[in-house]
Amino acid sequence: MNGDSKLKAMIKDADLNKNIGNFSYWLHRVTGIGLSIYLIMHIYVLSSAISGPESFNERMGSVQNPFFAVLEVLLIAGVFAHMLNGLRITITDFFSWSRGHKVLFWILAVIFVILMIVAIKLQWPKFFIDNYAMGGH
Amino acid sequence: MAERVSNQSALTWFLQRITGILLAFFLVTHLNVHHLFHDITLEGIINFSGVRENLQASLWWKIYYIVFVPFIVFHALNGLWQIIADFRLKSGAAMIVKALFWILGITLVAVAIMTLSNLFGGGA
Repeated sequence: MNGDSKLKAMIKDADLNKNIGNFSYWLHRVTGIGLSIYLIMHIYVLSSAISGPESFNERMGSVQNPFFAVLEVLLIAGVFAHMLNGLRITITDFFSWSRGHKVLFWILAVIFVILMIVAIKLQWPKFFIDNYAMGGH
Repeated sequence: MAERVSNQSALTWFLQRITGILLAFFLVTHLNVHHLFHDITLEGIINFSGVRENLQASLWWKIYYIVFVPFIVFHALNGLWQIIADFRLKSGAAMIVKALFWILGITLVAVAIMTLSNLFGGGA
């Protein structure tokens, strides 16, 4: 089976089997790819420190505004979703607990919602441009 | 009949889970300190001197980041490799992708360590 038909088979499988196992499989892969791309960009942005404080401050300044604060919420959602689902997979694998994986999914889904409420509350001041002029080192 | 899994596949499967468990701790700490609990109204935007001040506050931050960076790069690239491996590439193509991942991984760790060295400042 070549790559193209394998992808088609995976999409068909996801379409035919709409269940928690398949959803979490895709969730883990999509968030994993997204977070890997973010990691590369994060290291690139921070690498401006190699050129000195001015370069670092200029590049960091360009990614600290309400638009990026909203994107940061998506990043945090991706991290929490990937982390909690990864823990579910690890617990299921290491403790042969495949019977309990659905219950575990819903427990972790509730934890995810709670974590996101806290995260959005903490991020809230960053959604308003006026707050960026305050404070500072 | 059960299919025999190569030692290398079993090792990368195991390492993916071990680094994943450790990253849960590392990432929550990193997110809390540098993203969520950074109060923009009190501390202002993140800048070089502020990051250096935070990193120099404790030797543990140096140890933390020197362990964290290779772990997260390995976990990310090994995870991507596992997704690609599902497509059962021909051995030549698989070798090229693996080689590119190794080059990317070493480059990312090297750049991150150089960045951290500059941010740690004197005596890092």
